[in-house]
Amino acid sequence: MTSVGAIERYLHNCIRCGTCKYLFRDYRPSCPSGEYFGFETYYASGRIGIARGIATGDLEWDETLLRPIFACTTCGSCEVQCLAPHRDHIVEMIEELRAQAVERLGALPHHRAFAEKIQSVHNPYGAAHHGRRIATKLDLPRTAPVVYFVGCTSMYRENEIRDATLHILSRLGVDFTVIDEYCCGSPLLRTGQAGLAVQVAAHNVREIANSGARVVVTSCAGCLRTLRDDYESLGLSTGVEVLHITEFLAEHLTREHLTRMDLTVTYHDPCHLGRHAGIYEAPRAALETIGVETMEMSRNRANAWCCGAGGGVKSVFPDFALWTARRRLEEASETGAEVLTSACPFCRRNLSDTADGYRLDVRDVVELVDRALR
Amino acid sequence: MGESNVADGEGERYIYSYDMTENEPRRPVAVVMPATVEEVQAIVRLANERRTPLVPFVTGQNVGGLTIPQVDGAVIVDLRRMNRILTVDEDAMYALIEPGVTFGHMKRYLGRHSPGLRYTYPLAPPFTSIVANALLQGLCDLSTRRGAMENFINGFEVVLPTGEIVRVGSGILGEDNWFGRYPLPDLVGLFSGWQGMTGIVTKMAVQLWPKQPYVRYAALFTTDEEQTVGLLRRIVRTQVLDDADCMSVSLVKMLLGAEPPVDIYPDEPQYATLLTVSGQNELEVEGKYQAVAQAVARERSRDRRVNLIDWDAITVLMGRDANSWVDFPSDAFKILAEYDGLTWVGTYVHPARWATALKRGREVVERYGFELMAFLKPMNGMHYGELKFIVRFPKDPETIERVRQCNSELLDVLLALGAIPYKTPVWAARRLLERCDSGFVQLLRRIREFLDPNGILNPGRYSL
Ligand SMILES: Cc1cc2nc3c(=O)[nH]c(=O)nc-3n(C[C@H](O)[C@H](O)[C@H](O)COP(=O)(O)OP(=O)(O)OC[C@H]3O[C@@H](n4cnc5c(N)ncnc54)[C@H](O)[C@@H]3O)c2cc1C
Ligand code: SF4
Ligand code: SF4
Repeated sequence: MTSVGAIERYLHNCIRCGTCKYLFRDYRPSCPSGEYFGFETYYASGRIGIARGIATGDLEWDETLLRPIFACTTCGSCEVQCLAPHRDHIVEMIEELRAQAVERLGALPHHRAFAEKIQSVHNPYGAAHHGRRIATKLDLPRTAPVVYFVGCTSMYRENEIRDATLHILSRLGVDFTVIDEYCCGSPLLRTGQAGLAVQVAAHNVREIANSGARVVVTSCAGCLRTLRDDYESLGLSTGVEVLHITEFLAEHLTREHLTRMDLTVTYHDPCHLGRHAGIYEAPRAALETIGVETMEMSRNRANAWCCGAGGGVKSVFPDFALWTARRRLEEASETGAEVLTSACPFCRRNLSDTADGYRLDVRDVVELVDRALR
Repeated sequence: MGESNVADGEGERYIYSYDMTENEPRRPVAVVMPATVEEVQAIVRLANERRTPLVPFVTGQNVGGLTIPQVDGAVIVDLRRMNRILTVDEDAMYALIEPGVTFGHMKRYLGRHSPGLRYTYPLAPPFTSIVANALLQGLCDLSTRRGAMENFINGFEVVLPTGEIVRVGSGILGEDNWFGRYPLPDLVGLFSGWQGMTGIVTKMAVQLWPKQPYVRYAALFTTDEEQTVGLLRRIVRTQVLDDADCMSVSLVKMLLGAEPPVDIYPDEPQYATLLTVSGQNELEVEGKYQAVAQAVARERSRDRRVNLIDWDAITVLMGRDANSWVDFPSDAFKILAEYDGLTWVGTYVHPARWATALKRGREVVERYGFELMAFLKPMNGMHYGELKFIVRFPKDPETIERVRQCNSELLDVLLALGAIPYKTPVWAARRLLERCDSGFVQLLRRIREFLDPNGILNPGRYSL
């Protein structure tokens, strides 16, 4: 969550040195927003500068500020490159600035629209609320030690990820269930609409408590970050261990479960899983366990180029989102791999939306694991 | 250029109105980002017709307020999209580059495509413009041997304030011929040192050098100003050094991880100098190193506090940062990235006055309560030196005012010693021009009027 006061605390730290524009000691681009839009305003330093101007009163609120404030995927690469004292708080500052912008000028129309959908049907896509229908269909118990938090994008759009995860958990004999989940709140928090996020978070925390679970597993990098870190900043706690499915697999998946796959794969680190949650190795370990041949893209782990979908960008700046994805697809193609895999439904979605013309099959890690288990 | 490369939002107008220094901000009316020389030419022609002030910009990190418009109604011409390295000529050893090419990009490019050649790198952030720094006569990690970066310009293509495209240097005989500036009337001087007032350079040929296979570094610790300067002069006059960066020991302590504000105690070394020697083989490097060591040993026989420490020992203390410092100084600049404010009074100064300048400047900085971060680099084989007092500061109104007063006093001290301010902010240029030879000032004005009759390029800069 946009911890109150990050802008205030780091008001006088960004020297505008531009180190965050490129990968440290590598000198290739790091910031999708700056690369696409070009002006200084679209880099981290520009956003921090706007925040500072607003805080000191040198800059008045104005509609034209909304573009630079919101055209950022909150990918966090700037945090990895910056050498200054505020380096770990840049995204926090940007999100705080967004919250201020929403308070003063209102949310961007697309962002407001998905907030309204979350309010009415509990998911940003406006789909009929799913409730626990899957639980009925799969005959899952009301309480269990493990909860699979499906997430809206897997539930309503990228169903393959949901189905693969459900199948994996069943095949591994995990005693799990699903809850009557609401949107985790990530899209709200990333777009400066924290008020509603508190409400959905409170619902989810209650549902998790009622399930009796000790562990919540997500297949979505955004849900993971939100449940694990942001809820605490909102003053709530799930009180359970929150794991990404690939972390869970590290403990439960062994080679004896699997049919070896003859595939070459390159792995894209989702920003919310990698830079935001520090999980780089678990997905790679899962790929190694299923025996595919992995080839790294040249910008990987903390230096990975963003897929382009995050931070509310996909809905408001679709061309920018797809442009960013294409840069990643090009990099993936250079590895010569057949499959571009990721561990986040949002990455899968944005990368597949523009994958035509690339000889790459875009899949989530869980889809490959599921295939190896069949 | 397309609409997406023009911006006049409040965000852009604000962000391009200031830099990291204490210089007064002023908002431009718009920012444009051309990608080709034709686009630059079209912008300049239109501006000339409409009398619109233009301010060339690449990353705005000159530490002199040099991209802050001095008049209302200005348009910033952000050249970052012109970022191609057009050729590297291995025979004549030069690179032909556009203004958006930064030191970081050059390093990467040469590392991949011409590993036998090197460029020269400043202690600036990695993503600052090579072309802009060469035009500003900046300094870098070969400057002790080879002087200011203007010396490394072989020529360039430039759009004049009236819109014509011209070339200077041997490139006047066509592409693939940018080997040098002589023997010709040296028109580089019409543009270099002019802070973007006489033309917009759209490509530049800069010299490269063979990368020496053997390099050795050492740190020299010395006590007071007289000793430091005296020993430094003797060492540099051996002519064996590639580079020498002398700085207040507080800077080195910060590199070693000391938290600011860093104290320096009277009985410890006050200055540390990073020395570089290189050669074709170990024997050559060892010979050069011994020349340095002998000079140091003579001084040490008088004062045991003087010390020459091999870089391997420093690496043990500093870890990875020690390597980055010597490999690519930009990677070590982070000690200057503590606050949103950074400034200095920087000058090129006569060697006989270094010690006095260091002492008097130190008094000023300490009186104003800022950390002492003096920096001295012998330049061009010991013909002169760059001397600056760096101040990093939080940009709150009270501190900004204190910085202004401190810099003002520093400038007076240094001007009185005949030092020439570099990357000169308007206020400092004004004071220089008040004191200097009046014929020089007249000539500056005449040249400017001749090249830019409507005064559209960076008007007000250099207090002209
Ligand atoms: C922490 C720090 C340390 C530094 N250390 C050093 C150092 O060790 N040595 C050193 O030399 N410098 C140093 N610098 C300064 C800096 O690196 C240079 O001044 C910089 O490279 C200039 O590039 P820029 O992109 O900032 O240019 P800008 O600031 O954008 O432009 C500088 C000036 O050039 C003009 N200009 C820009 N492009 C053109 C063009 N194409 N044609 C005509 N005029 C043009 C502008 O109008 C302006 O007047 C340091 C800076 C910082 C922040
Ligand atoms: S965010 Fe950090 S790296 Fe980026 S300009 Fe500011 S200080 Fe430099
Ligand atoms: S979070 Fe990503 S897109 Fe946003 S400023 Fe930082 S690097 Fe750029």
